[in-house]
Amino acid sequence: MRENRKYLDPAFLSTLGNMDLVARCAVEGFFSGLHPSPFHGFSVEYSDHREYHAGDELKFVDWKVFGRSDKLYIKQFQQETNTTAYILLDSSKSMSFAGDGKVSKMDYASFLAAALSYLMLSQSDSTALILFAETVAKYIPPHSKRTHLNIILKTLQQNKPAGQTNLAGVLHTFAETTKRRGIVILISDLLDDEDDIFKGLAHLKFLKHDVIVFQTMDHQELHLDYEGLIQFEDLESKAKIRTFPQSLKEGYRQRVAEFLDEIEKTTGNTGIDYCLLNTSEPLDRALVAYLAKRKRLM
Amino acid sequence: MSFTAWIFLLGGLAVAGPLIAHLLAKPRFRRLPFTMLRFLRTGQVQSQSRRKLRDLLILLLRCTMIVLIALLFARPILHLRHKPEQTKHTYCLGLDNSMSMAYSDGDKVLFDKLKDSAVDYVRSAEPDSLFHICALASGDWMQELSKEQVLAEIGTLKIEPASTNIGDFLSGLNRTNRAKHSNDETSVLVLSDFTPKTLRQFVRITEPSAVDRMDYTPILSSKPVNNAAIAEAHVVNLAEGTLTVSAAVANYGRTPQKRRLTARAGSHESAPTDIHLLAHQRGTYQIQIDLQPIGKEPSFWPVELSLSEGDGLRADDTFHLAVSIPGYNDMNVLLTGESDVELFLLKTAMEILSRTRSYNALHIRQVLIDELGSSDMEWADVLVCSVITDRLGYLASGLKDFVSAGGKLVCFTKKSMASEAAKQLWQRGVLAALPSNYIHGRTYIQPKPSDYQVAGVDPTAAKSLSNYRIDKILLKGYLECEPHTDSRCLWHLQNGMGFVYLKAFGSGCSIFVNTSVDDSLGSLTKSNASVAFCQYLLGQKNQISEHCFARDERVTLPIPNRPMTAGTQQPYWVEVCNGKKRRAAMTDSLLQVPNPAGIGWIKTLGKPTLYAGVNLPQGETDMTQPDVAELDDMMKRVFLTNGERSVSSADVLGDKKPRPMWKVLAWAILLLLLVEPAIANRLRR
Repeated sequence: MRENRKYLDPAFLSTLGNMDLVARCAVEGFFSGLHPSPFHGFSVEYSDHREYHAGDELKFVDWKVFGRSDKLYIKQFQQETNTTAYILLDSSKSMSFAGDGKVSKMDYASFLAAALSYLMLSQSDSTALILFAETVAKYIPPHSKRTHLNIILKTLQQNKPAGQTNLAGVLHTFAETTKRRGIVILISDLLDDEDDIFKGLAHLKFLKHDVIVFQTMDHQELHLDYEGLIQFEDLESKAKIRTFPQSLKEGYRQRVAEFLDEIEKTTGNTGIDYCLLNTSEPLDRALVAYLAKRKRLM
Repeated sequence: MSFTAWIFLLGGLAVAGPLIAHLLAKPRFRRLPFTMLRFLRTGQVQSQSRRKLRDLLILLLRCTMIVLIALLFARPILHLRHKPEQTKHTYCLGLDNSMSMAYSDGDKVLFDKLKDSAVDYVRSAEPDSLFHICALASGDWMQELSKEQVLAEIGTLKIEPASTNIGDFLSGLNRTNRAKHSNDETSVLVLSDFTPKTLRQFVRITEPSAVDRMDYTPILSSKPVNNAAIAEAHVVNLAEGTLTVSAAVANYGRTPQKRRLTARAGSHESAPTDIHLLAHQRGTYQIQIDLQPIGKEPSFWPVELSLSEGDGLRADDTFHLAVSIPGYNDMNVLLTGESDVELFLLKTAMEILSRTRSYNALHIRQVLIDELGSSDMEWADVLVCSVITDRLGYLASGLKDFVSAGGKLVCFTKKSMASEAAKQLWQRGVLAALPSNYIHGRTYIQPKPSDYQVAGVDPTAAKSLSNYRIDKILLKGYLECEPHTDSRCLWHLQNGMGFVYLKAFGSGCSIFVNTSVDDSLGSLTKSNASVAFCQYLLGQKNQISEHCFARDERVTLPIPNRPMTAGTQQPYWVEVCNGKKRRAAMTDSLLQVPNPAGIGWIKTLGKPTLYAGVNLPQGETDMTQPDVAELDDMMKRVFLTNGERSVSSADVLGDKKPRPMWKVLAWAILLLLLVEPAIANRLRR
């Protein structure tokens, strides 16, 4: 099990290069680690046999059983429950931040998006991918075909973070333009005005979407473990601050904690699932969060 | 504040380094892209100002360290400034009361001039000053006197027939300096005639004394010095009752001297000798005194040499020379051994000795040891045995009586000897050491004896033996010896064994020599040293000795023929130079007089009457006047005043008043070095 967990390690996944492989590794690694799995039965699968009654479709007759027993039995399957998942991936410049220099927030978010896409398409859920910064940069409409995964993965691989974040605007635009309700998976660092973000999420919630928010944060963003004199340069606004971070560490951590608490509290109040992801941690927490949400929906 | 090595203050310019670095150097920082700047902003303003303040504090800390290190190397001395009303004046007066100050130039005695100068000086001092007076010749210190007291003390000062002792004065001055309060000021006044003898003492001073003010006044004669003195005298010889004495007379002044020298010993007086000396000239004159009739008994003669009147100082015109003339007793030496041949070498040496002047009545006889009898011992003063045989064992009690009665027994040894007889003699205390095993091994004698001043042997001969290089004489073997409890080993072999042992019996003694008289054990009696060695064994006889001492020397007198116990002191009464009776201690055969109380004669009050002459130290009344510039330089060197002290390392270490700051600085630097990393690290957080 421990060996399988390495396929969920973002540092390992970043070395693979191929997004398809990334998605496969992450999901397969995740499932092989879950034993016994609590998520059996949500796919199209055999359920039971019953006697044939008039009016039943002949295509469901189990001819092998008829050959052995001369009786007609019908194969029963669990009903398919197709849903649509919208993955909103923040590709603003701030997502390119990599505190330890290995896995940036963008990489981590892409791995997560790929893994979720793989997972959802393998369940025949329609999956859409929306890349955005100030506006929607790329929109891949929902589709449930397995070949659709290649399009998503290719898009993720080619994606380069750029531009400033306008998360609220994008959420409103998405809510207004999307007719079919489904699961909205927002993967972002949420570094925008909190009130605007909450309004956008509330808009989605109002339209009966099920919303999961994955907030990706780097370890350094959370803890500010820097020493010495450092000139911090904002990735989006290009603002500069020169300071000794060790002297600001305590205040910074407190303010970040307040910010995250505010998000968690507000999302919790509005029925939005919220998951804070540290880019130094494996992906399984995100996948578990998604699957739990999916199960509740079924 | 002054600095011992001010040049190191330039090191303080190194402060410019960190200052320039601080002003020019931009802080080194890392550029780092970041996302959450809005969370940093709040604390940033505070951080910037605090950082600047911290940088300044660290800069200040480091600059302070550099300045302190520069100061430490410059070795600052803090001179505390005192308020005038708190300053207390202490005056140390060094007043020369040596004999040269008794000189009179016709108008006034120098010592009176000195007193007048001292009184003037004291009167000009501040009213509440403290005074210390040191009489330079007697070494007396009178301390913490008021003005009135010091004036009275100056009036009572007297001349001491001695030389000045500057060391006493300076050590007393340093004591005063150490004891004084930091506000006090010390002034020194030296009043002296600064004779060459005094100046030589100043020259030898290596540790200067720190004072606040120094004055000196040479008390000199206003006219050319007119003074001659008998510098020294000694006996040349005594022939046919006439004692010849040689006297050195020096003209210490610039006036030519025409004087007459006479000598007097009791009622005997010499014919006067005319003396003509030019300025600063020195001459030696022989003067004869007829001492007839001289008996055969030892006698002591107080010979007083004197110059006729005619100069400004009388005390140095007389010289006291005590002469000890030994008696003319015959000395009978009996040589005894196993054969005549064996004693040939020793007998030859004795005969040579008998022909010298020291032993003009030495009778030598030889007898075979087996024929030795009581009658022989009655005749002999000295019995020399070449070997210890059984015969000596039989005569043990007779031999003990012989040494107890003042006789001297000298025993040599051989490889083959009668051990039992030796043991018997040793047990009875007759033999100084018990010889036992023969050790066959080459060895040499120590070049000098372990003990010179022992009654029974001749110390002069011991010194002569050193000149004969006795340490080069090879001994082929020796015997292990166990000394008697009362005996002393006078001479050692180079391997540490004993060579000559002596056991005293009142005026008699027993000597054991760890070698043979022939060539069986060593080559001593075959060598040129044999005569001197015989003289060493026979002891001091018939030698004229002199007993005259300088005033600053320790007076000792040998007491002949007095029963003594080793290591004990016996009281003895003497009359010292001022005519008073005083107790003297006698150690072994020497009488020690602690204080002669002037110059003149010291006379024992018991029998026999012995004399010792005490004279002025040689050159004490040399009135040659000092060179003014040279004297000034020397006084400035010996007494460092404030201005000169700032550059003197000796002063920094020796004087207490200026406060050396280097210890404080060193501690401060050490402390800063310890806390600087902690402070800098703490401030940077």
